[in-house]
Amino acid sequence: MDLLKVEHLAKTYPKFKLQDINFSLPEGQIMGLIGKNGAGKSTILKSMLNLVNPDSGTVYFFGQNIKENELEIKKQIGVVLGGVDFYQQKKISTLAKVTSRFYDNWDQVAFEHFLKEFEIDLTKTPKELSAGMKVKLMIALALSHDAKLFIFDEPTSGLDPVSRDDLLNLFKELVATGKRSILFSTHITSDIEKCADSISYIKNGELLESADKETFMDSFAYLKEPTDQKPLTLEEIMVRVEGEHHYDI
Amino acid sequence: MISNLLYKELRLAAHPNLFIFALMGPLVLVPSYPYTMVFTFCCIGIYVNFMYARETNDLYYSALLPIKKSDVVKGKVAVTVTAQLASLIISVPFAIINQVIFHTENKAGIAANIAFYGVGLIIFGLFNLVFLSEFFKTVYRAGNAFIKALIPVLIVQILVEVLAHFPGATWAQNVTNSNWLGQTILLVVGLIIYLILTYTSFKISVRRFAQVNL
Repeated sequence: MDLLKVEHLAKTYPKFKLQDINFSLPEGQIMGLIGKNGAGKSTILKSMLNLVNPDSGTVYFFGQNIKENELEIKKQIGVVLGGVDFYQQKKISTLAKVTSRFYDNWDQVAFEHFLKEFEIDLTKTPKELSAGMKVKLMIALALSHDAKLFIFDEPTSGLDPVSRDDLLNLFKELVATGKRSILFSTHITSDIEKCADSISYIKNGELLESADKETFMDSFAYLKEPTDQKPLTLEEIMVRVEGEHHYDI
Repeated sequence: MISNLLYKELRLAAHPNLFIFALMGPLVLVPSYPYTMVFTFCCIGIYVNFMYARETNDLYYSALLPIKKSDVVKGKVAVTVTAQLASLIISVPFAIINQVIFHTENKAGIAANIAFYGVGLIIFGLFNLVFLSEFFKTVYRAGNAFIKALIPVLIVQILVEVLAHFPGATWAQNVTNSNWLGQTILLVVGLIIYLILTYTSFKISVRRFAQVNL
């Protein structure tokens, strides 16, 4: 079953246009949404979640249209928005206490267990957590209401290589049971190479390709030059697709 | 649901100044003071609270909870109404002390009488109509919304404090056997205006917030 299916999603801003985005994410998989800064990754994620009003398109979570079943869907997803920090000065215990009231299936014992696993102290405030820890806190909150789908907007940006690797391993563990899926946007190609099963590539608001990793890499084989000995890496694909920019200075 | 929303507002989103500015009731004990300032202080606390919500990304967090977008607005309106009613109720014992024990007329303007609370409710209603509706247009221009909301607040405030000096303005004087009924009518009218304006501001805010791209 597809945990997520996006059909013909479009949104026009005065200076930016997101057009005809289509992709789907089956159970137990990790999908990486790549594109350079400003390509439209965050707009896609926010439009999917109704944080931004899309002009057209339909988004299905767990087979249900978000326009019709927003509340039920939101109970089953965990979202981490890039660069958005919540309630920096409040204790994590307070954050959990408030959040728990909105979920019928909140499991406090599980929450405390996840925090212990992630080595996060309940008495701390988000301000006292590193960037990686903040993502883990949000994962712990989502796991405690048994989220099936995780949506992360650039979760690894600004993390050191060790924390990044740690977080990517956690992603793999989250989907290991085959019941949960992750969609995460990033511009760090090595993240995708490490843990994604499929890739969607956004350029200037358009979806260039969305496929499983192998098919995706093959579809860009035309970019290979005679001098290339090995298959192209994702970074090489991205750099070649985006093209060189020359400055008039 | 409303209790969960209000709980979230008070435990997570509220700025301490919201509570401090709602506690200005004892000002009605100050001799010769424009008592309508009690309401203006409360409005300042509400403005700070909205600014704080913006800084803590409260609206993002709320929008991701399993609630409707209109419930995000409902939570904010609920905490605003709570602060305003608290500010009125907290001042009541001090107003009674003023009327019963001190008995002195307020030389600065309106007395801490029954009509005073009707005026407060009108001020709060006008504030809500402009401030909430303006804020939910963008959910970040809190300062702009506050400046615009201050205009009707100050107009009513100045009008009341000035008219209180006119001869025969018994509605603005201490409660006596002859003027309590008129003052009570003003209180009821104020309450009706408050309810209508606050409900209207809620409706407008919901409609505007639905169009906002977070």
